[in-house]
Amino acid sequence: MSFPAVLHAEWIKVRSLRSLVGSLISVFLATAGLTILVCATLGRPEPDSDDFVEPILFSYYGLNFGQMAALTFGAIAMAAEYKNGGIRVSLGAVPNRGLFYAAKLVVIAGLVFAVGLVTSLTSFLSGQALMDKGFGIGIGDPGALRAVVGCAFYLALLSLLAAGLAALLRSVTGSMCVLVPMFLIAPFVVGDVSQGGSAADFLPDRAGQQILLLHPEGPLGAWSGMAVLMAWSGLAVGAGWWALRRRDA
Amino acid sequence: MTSIDVKELTKEYGTTRAVDRLTFSVRPGQVTGFLGPNGAGKSTTMRLVLGLDRPTSGTATLGGRPYVEYDEPLRHVGALLDAQAAHGSRTARNHLLALAASNRIPARRVDEVLEEAGIARVAGRRIKTFSLGMRQRLGIAAALLGDPSVLILDEPSNGLDPEGIIWIRELMRGLAREGRAVLVSSHLMNETASFADHLVVLGRGRLLADTPMQDFIDSRIQPRVRLRTTEGSRLRTLLTSRGFTPVQGEDGRWIVEGARVEDVGPLAAADGIPILELATEEATLEQAYLDLTADEAEFASGSAAGPNRSTPHTSSHHANLSDPSSPSSSSSPSFRSVRSTTDQEV
Repeated sequence: MSFPAVLHAEWIKVRSLRSLVGSLISVFLATAGLTILVCATLGRPEPDSDDFVEPILFSYYGLNFGQMAALTFGAIAMAAEYKNGGIRVSLGAVPNRGLFYAAKLVVIAGLVFAVGLVTSLTSFLSGQALMDKGFGIGIGDPGALRAVVGCAFYLALLSLLAAGLAALLRSVTGSMCVLVPMFLIAPFVVGDVSQGGSAADFLPDRAGQQILLLHPEGPLGAWSGMAVLMAWSGLAVGAGWWALRRRDA
Repeated sequence: MTSIDVKELTKEYGTTRAVDRLTFSVRPGQVTGFLGPNGAGKSTTMRLVLGLDRPTSGTATLGGRPYVEYDEPLRHVGALLDAQAAHGSRTARNHLLALAASNRIPARRVDEVLEEAGIARVAGRRIKTFSLGMRQRLGIAAALLGDPSVLILDEPSNGLDPEGIIWIRELMRGLAREGRAVLVSSHLMNETASFADHLVVLGRGRLLADTPMQDFIDSRIQPRVRLRTTEGSRLRTLLTSRGFTPVQGEDGRWIVEGARVEDVGPLAAADGIPILELATEEATLEQAYLDLTADEAEFASGSAAGPNRSTPHTSSHHANLSDPSSPSSSSSPSFRSVRSTTDQEV
């Protein structure tokens, strides 16, 4: 079968579901919108204080909300196939399950990366512009471009993590029951228990967000943190593939 | 010409055998009715043929190849398994567009099948607003998308209104006339009788019959005649002496089991008994099917106890035969002989 044809089919599936289009828009609105809103109205940091060493992070205030939209998108895009047994119709059209799974993941990650890049750039530029004169940095400054592109990678990897999990659990609800605690609760609980130690640093969000820092602390750097997130996503995608390949549809 | 060939197909779920060493073929150019009570393994067999479930053993091929080896399978095989199997938030047109795109079927074909299925008017509506009948039509539109030479339809007339039932019947007959292989499962006997040329009957995952429909009826149902006469007692004496057992109904008509009009007519004439009416009662598929499944139920339970089967010979209602065990007890040939017929067919 032709891979572009299957990609085309997966693209039609995404654009024809309002919940998917909505969650993609939410990635942008939550991340860039909240960043602008908060930066413009509330917490301007005091750039002259000694501990202000991470100006980029200021631009990504909304990312913790936007990332939930990316997770939701990935989970819905995959789990929608399992609603009402629709997977049988899909696999009837594309019986090569590897091709089907790969095309779906490419479309999911590709769309989130594209939306993520626009989101990231908007967030970066607006956040830096809202900072007091002279303290904001430009896209050409060290670490800036890495953070902008890295944020798009980060969101794309999260959507893959969610999609792999959804293929394993075959349900949006089930997937979100794992993802919400993993991203909203675990970082704080594990962080507290380990006294700010290293275990929490290896959670997907902490590890992946190292890319936004100019001076990453802890065991993981910008790229090694991204590698840890890739391992998480790879694990989920692998588990989802195992389920899709082995189980009866 | 593509046919479906199922060989020694077996599917086990845990300790349950849903499909048990099933062997049959579906030939092109005719509609094959796939019969059996709920849970007999019809849907499982269809999923196995489509490569959605993996068989425990055995093979299912279409034109000699397993389904999963087809490049762009929708162009060869169209299937309707479950009318509900579509995301309710998509429009009918988008649902079909995605399927068409994956098999490089042009978008104009989507509009053609929407028109053919009679749902072009609602193509832009979301599927969750559809009635069961409209979903069924959408499923059939999806099956027709690639102009396939094999069609596999699981209970396609489910939820259709009378007009829709006539439409699907004519559609299936037309597709078969064009030389396609059409496999249609159902548990509506009269419905199946109206379109099927050939029958494959399952019970508990096993093949009970694989035979042309008329042969199936003829082999299972004894002929019987209905007659009216002015001299009932003379007729009774005459026929009883010839080994028949005439029974008089409440309306005064006599029913003679196991007799043909050619037997009764000359006898009555020779004896000068006036006959007002003499007719063969047509056996129905429903009776033949009930007769078969009754044997199967008997075989399975090991007991012949139960109320006498009282299906009227001329019944024309749409019986829903979801429970094969209720019409039990039968004096007809044992299950063993059914199996031997079956084996000969295979």
